[in-house]
Amino acid sequence: MAPALRVNGVSKTYARSESPALTPTSFDVEPGQFVSLVGPSGCGKSTLLGMIAGLITPDEGYIEALGEQVTGPGNGRAIVFQDAALFPWLTLERNVEYGLRAHGVPKAERREKVAHALRMVHLDHVAEKHPYELSGGMRQRASIARALVLEPEILLMDEPFSALDAQTRTLLQDELQRIWLETRPAVVFVTHNLIEAAFLSDTVHLLSSSPGRVVKTYDIGIPRPRDEADPALLDIRHDMLERLRAEVDDAALRRAEFAEVTEVGA
Amino acid sequence: MSASRLKSVAWDIVRKGWFLALVIFLWWLVTAAGWADPYKLPSPGDVLSTLGNLFTERALLDDLGATLLRLVEGWAIGVTAGVLLGLITGGSRFLEDGIRPVIAGLQAVPTIAFLPLAILWFGFNGTAVLVITAFGTFKPMAISTYSAMHQVSPTLMMAGRAMGARGLFLQRTLVFPAIVPNLVTGLKLSWSFAWRALMAAEIVVTGAQGLGGVLELGREIGAIDVVIAVILVILVVGIVTEQLFFTRLERWVNRRWGLTGAR
Repeated sequence: MAPALRVNGVSKTYARSESPALTPTSFDVEPGQFVSLVGPSGCGKSTLLGMIAGLITPDEGYIEALGEQVTGPGNGRAIVFQDAALFPWLTLERNVEYGLRAHGVPKAERREKVAHALRMVHLDHVAEKHPYELSGGMRQRASIARALVLEPEILLMDEPFSALDAQTRTLLQDELQRIWLETRPAVVFVTHNLIEAAFLSDTVHLLSSSPGRVVKTYDIGIPRPRDEADPALLDIRHDMLERLRAEVDDAALRRAEFAEVTEVGA
Repeated sequence: MSASRLKSVAWDIVRKGWFLALVIFLWWLVTAAGWADPYKLPSPGDVLSTLGNLFTERALLDDLGATLLRLVEGWAIGVTAGVLLGLITGGSRFLEDGIRPVIAGLQAVPTIAFLPLAILWFGFNGTAVLVITAFGTFKPMAISTYSAMHQVSPTLMMAGRAMGARGLFLQRTLVFPAIVPNLVTGLKLSWSFAWRALMAAEIVVTGAQGLGGVLELGREIGAIDVVIAVILVILVVGIVTEQLFFTRLERWVNRRWGLTGAR
């Protein structure tokens, strides 16, 4: 079976930046597979997601979504942003409907799909409300509904829960697991929360910064539905932390050596 | 109304009205003491009775109506043209980079400087005045639209594009509603520019009915009380539109767009 998503040697260096935001990176995402990109700030995980979304152009390499090379947003990919990014002037219902309108879906069909998507995230009782009338957690659920209504084969999520409080976050992780089990899109999920990545994913790519790159890939074989307190998850988190710590020490070491060399040179 | 509510309303009036009362008192004092030539500065009482006479004898209400109609028409035309130009050309870097500096340059020229041109093209009549008013509105409105478009949240734009919105659909359903809160400021600004252009034009194009014509007539016949009375009318129109229209519009938009967080 062809992969839902093929990331092939993509890299990116931003202007006026000394080290690459992302060195050449490759991986596949199979249909229905849940993949997380996790790592500290500046590790290139959001850049990578932006390239998959078609919002950032890679310097080299290419990305294929559903067998077609990505040149812009669209074809089968939906995105959930960190700050929900709902349109404040529209009701929740109209927000969820927006993508269907953009795709020219007839009205009756739109209504049915919107109602279904809102039920899935348990927001059908506030369909007529505007985003500012809702809590952060509800807004984020609405933005998930807005993505799901397009029935994407690939769902991209850019730190969707990182602006939420810890309780809401845990609830939404459980909900996302349930929704994903019901709908089974391929997911690329970006987060800096290690346990969240391990809990949700089939595969976790651990990234590190300066330069941004994948340092290790974890396959999480724990059967679903999972429990966030599962000791096996904690073991994986521990291993990731160790790995990142070694990276940070390495980087500090490199910087120290560099400083020494320049001092001697001066 | 409870006693405390009454008290707070009374205090509000005092707080906001004391300076105005002082100005009117000084004005009265200067005229009553005979320090000013009544030909150059009539007393508040004289101005008030002149104002009454203007409404009853010269049908100032018709002039006011003509001016307001022209103002609303010119403003509406200018606003529509400015917003449309901004929305249509602001989506393209090439178009905006070419057009925006020209409009910004025109905005540096007081609109009334174009009046001779408008008179040559449209005649010494109300049409020329209307065109000048619309033009005076159009310039700040187009610039406000461009600026507002640059302030649309990049995340919202990304979200819209990612959901498949393109071209005119994107401009109509995302960019336009997204800039509405910022456009309200442009609407207010362009309203004041429209007022200025209109008054200046009406003073020159005296053939047309309107407040500007009455102002000019007052100057011609040396009736300074008429001039001051008309200024007062203009002042009241300004305050009333600000309070009744723009303040409400702003409050409604802020609520609807969730900018105040109020329900």
